[in-house]
Amino acid sequence: MPALEAVDITVTFGGSVALDEVHIAAEPGAVTGLIGPNGAGKTTLFNVITGLLSPTGGRVSIHGRDVTGLPPSRRARLGLARTFQRLELFTSLSVRDNIRVAGDIRNAWGRSHRINVAAEAERVIELTGLGDVAEMDVSDIPTGRARVVEVARALMTQPSVLLLDEPAAGQTERETEAFGQMLGRLADDGLAVCLVEHDMALVMQVCATIHVLDYGKQLAVGPPEQVRNDPAVIAAYLGAPA
Amino acid sequence: MHLFITYTIFGLVLGGVYGIAASGLVLTYNTSGIFNFAHGAEAMLGAFVYWEVRFNLHWPAPLALLVVLGGFGPLMGWLLYVGIMRGLRDTAEVTKVIVTVALMLGMLYLSDWIWNPVVPRTIVQFFGPTSNVHIFGAMVPTHELIALGVAVAIAVGLRLFFYRTRIGVVMRGAVDDAGLLQLNGHNPDRAAALSWAMGSFLAVLAGILITPVSGGALESNALTLLVLDAIAAAVFGRLRSVPRTFVGAMVLGLANNYVLAYFPSSWSWTSDFRVSLPMIVLFAVLVVLPQDRLRGATILRTRERFRVPSVRTAAIAGVCLVGAVVLLRQLMVDSDVTTFTVGLTFSIIALSLTLLTGYAGEMNLAAVSFGAIGTLVVFHNGIVGQNVGARTTLQWIVVGTVVTAVVGGIVALPALRLRGLYLGLATLAFGVFLTDMVLMDVNPHKLPLLHTKFSLFSAGAGIGSLVMPPLKIGPLDLTDGTTFLVSVAVVFAVIGVGLVALRNSSYGRRLTAMKDSPAASATLGQNLVKLKVSVFMLSAGIAGLGGILMSQALGSVTSGNFDIFLSLSLIMLTVVAGIGYVSGALFGGLLAGVGFALVVSTFNNLANNHAGLHGLYATIAHIAAVLPALIGVGVGQNPTGSVHQIVDGYRAMKDNRPVLVGGAVVEAVLYVLALVGAIGNWWFAVLTAVLIMVLPLVGQYTSPEAVRQRAAEVPLEMAGLDAPYTDELRAQLDHALGIDDVARVDRRRGVTVAAAPGVPADPTPATGPGPAAAGGASPSRRSR
Repeated sequence: MPALEAVDITVTFGGSVALDEVHIAAEPGAVTGLIGPNGAGKTTLFNVITGLLSPTGGRVSIHGRDVTGLPPSRRARLGLARTFQRLELFTSLSVRDNIRVAGDIRNAWGRSHRINVAAEAERVIELTGLGDVAEMDVSDIPTGRARVVEVARALMTQPSVLLLDEPAAGQTERETEAFGQMLGRLADDGLAVCLVEHDMALVMQVCATIHVLDYGKQLAVGPPEQVRNDPAVIAAYLGAPA
Repeated sequence: MHLFITYTIFGLVLGGVYGIAASGLVLTYNTSGIFNFAHGAEAMLGAFVYWEVRFNLHWPAPLALLVVLGGFGPLMGWLLYVGIMRGLRDTAEVTKVIVTVALMLGMLYLSDWIWNPVVPRTIVQFFGPTSNVHIFGAMVPTHELIALGVAVAIAVGLRLFFYRTRIGVVMRGAVDDAGLLQLNGHNPDRAAALSWAMGSFLAVLAGILITPVSGGALESNALTLLVLDAIAAAVFGRLRSVPRTFVGAMVLGLANNYVLAYFPSSWSWTSDFRVSLPMIVLFAVLVVLPQDRLRGATILRTRERFRVPSVRTAAIAGVCLVGAVVLLRQLMVDSDVTTFTVGLTFSIIALSLTLLTGYAGEMNLAAVSFGAIGTLVVFHNGIVGQNVGARTTLQWIVVGTVVTAVVGGIVALPALRLRGLYLGLATLAFGVFLTDMVLMDVNPHKLPLLHTKFSLFSAGAGIGSLVMPPLKIGPLDLTDGTTFLVSVAVVFAVIGVGLVALRNSSYGRRLTAMKDSPAASATLGQNLVKLKVSVFMLSAGIAGLGGILMSQALGSVTSGNFDIFLSLSLIMLTVVAGIGYVSGALFGGLLAGVGFALVVSTFNNLANNHAGLHGLYATIAHIAAVLPALIGVGVGQNPTGSVHQIVDGYRAMKDNRPVLVGGAVVEAVLYVLALVGAIGNWWFAVLTAVLIMVLPLVGQYTSPEAVRQRAAEVPLEMAGLDAPYTDELRAQLDHALGIDDVARVDRRRGVTVAAAPGVPADPTPATGPGPAAAGGASPSRRSR
């Protein structure tokens, strides 16, 4: 059973169709890629999955449980976490507090979810390599690092499904490389990762399966090799020969 | 039947005028994103100017209308936008609200200055009071028909304007995406300025039409509160739709007149009910509105930044405060002690705003009104003893605080599902409802079943005032003014330190997270409604306690002590002082509670005592009355508040001991001089204020290091504009943008393409190492 499954998701804004019967599944222990040109509907799909946006049609399930009607906070309690393409960091808090507050929120879910926030934050900061900026204001660190803070914050809720929206944008080459390795480790620990990313080297390196979206439609699904050589995918990115 | 037709027509007329006012409100809100609480005040100013030219200078009506509607109205709106509102971009919603609230208060004081409110003024109907038309056997004044016709014309005209004209379509687009509009060659700024001119025109039109409809007497407060009726109508249209706003306005107008026609006038509360109707309707609409979609932070980086002190610092400050209050007591005569105590109770009420607005980013525009709830509970239950022996009991003060918290939760719940502004509107509605309805309940009426006579707000025999005796806990009797003053200071300090501890706790971090990004909080598993209700209840409880203490400090209260304008100026001055700080609440509360009133009355007394200088002193008194509003309008320039600035100034000279010690010595000398009576208390206050302001400047001057440090804190996007563009700056920019060096980016281009041949290669933007590259080398859609 996939950790996350979104079936036949359709979203329309007024007359325009943002997503047209899109299907995506993320397996535990693997990174699933979601690529497509800007405006293809990737972030819209993430918003539907996390409950920030109600789909016109289709359903979302987490670990087999239908969550289509649930609010975002309830979905998070079922193990879903995400990062945002347009950074949504808590700008009045330091990097460490940004990470800690996610643990605070988790602790407020209920007694059975309790974690030691300070210790867990320390572990996550080490895991994501944010030690050198931990005491800084989030608005004072470079965009690339800020994206890692978003990932660290999401990890604090101990998710089983992690949605990453362009986490490598703004990262340097070296940072991206380290980030790819970290994703690999997270997946090895059993996390289901869903990755939206434009850095193809990273996507091809870490993803087991890649979904391609274009204009809200599903263009292709498959392992990296297959998707890379799919004529429809190449056409969508580079333009079809006249 | 006759009655029905008459009142239906009157209802439609009133609804039409409400519609004109409300559509102006919706128009400006949608085009500029600023909800204009001063809308009613604009209507009021317009009506007064019209009265001035039409009935004082006796201009003919067409000329007067042309000048006021064609000139004054639009010009006022345009000036407001260009002068004030344009600068509010990238500020928090609270700041935007505060600026228009300040504007409203300022306009009110201004009109009271120009047109002495004691003199009665009337606006006569168009074509005189005797000009009538017969419709279905009902006699309707010509003026009312004209008003109805104008309303219909405005409704149709606005519809055509928005859908058929180019600028109208641009206006509709301005809110959705101002940037996109700009790319398409339009000027969102000009659209917004035009919308303010139109909005102001509509407000003035409504003001001129409604005055004769509602009796003809020109009254500045009542007209300013026209904004409340407009808000109620606008909420019908979810603050967006003009047609639905007009429908809402008609419902309000009709309901108002049917209550007048059919409710028995023997019921003591009928007329109060009619006045409160818009607020009741507004509340009902809020309950049924569907939940808002959660959006991400619309502003990436607001200009409001607050530092968080540690609990230890706060505790030290708290002890200092109590000490300072004890010292200041020595300088005061007994009547001053009471005034000071009242001011401090306002500061406690302001603490509720620090928690709610400063920490959680939500709004309560009726904080003082919540104090009335606590006061009512204590008054009806918690008094023991008679006359001078009467005391209030601690347990009922606790109950009063808890009841206020519960009422707060109930009031806030419908609005908490919606955007922040709606909570502001709901609390405003609650505050006005309370003063217009609950606190007007002074005539004892028989309760069904219980057979006892009872009225909510009366000490008996229809007198609308409550006598609140002081508190007694065991041996601690607060009858003595000094004991009471120090106790209130202790309560403030305890709550203040508690708030700082709260802000540093996991609960406080969750509040901050919700304020900074609701969307991220929710996706991390935070139930936003639950968190908002809890913080609102806590805040209402603090306001309730502050209100109880205020009533006790005053000794007896009337409904005027809980007036909505008091709440509005309290939140305004707290924001000015610094809504994110406990010290902001202290100064905001003192200013709102007693500060400006004291200054105004001082100068008025001077004016009355010195006949020769009467004009000068009276003018200064007027200026002092308008001053808080001017400061409030200025908050757009400095949204973090003045306390922040002062604290920052002192932080910079933390190590500059000579200056700090010197300042302390000067202050001590001032205190001793005041104590022995060598200088008056006013001079002491003024010199102390000057000292506090000047000291950081001295510190800055004496330590060039601090100056350099400040210069380095230029925001990055401003780098190189007013200072030379150095290599150091360049490195800093590169670091912030995530670029290590140019060479690496170049190399990466090659690597990426080589690693994935034939794929959606990652076409690095041609701009190279610039912001675009840093924002993520995203492939743009190729043409097909």
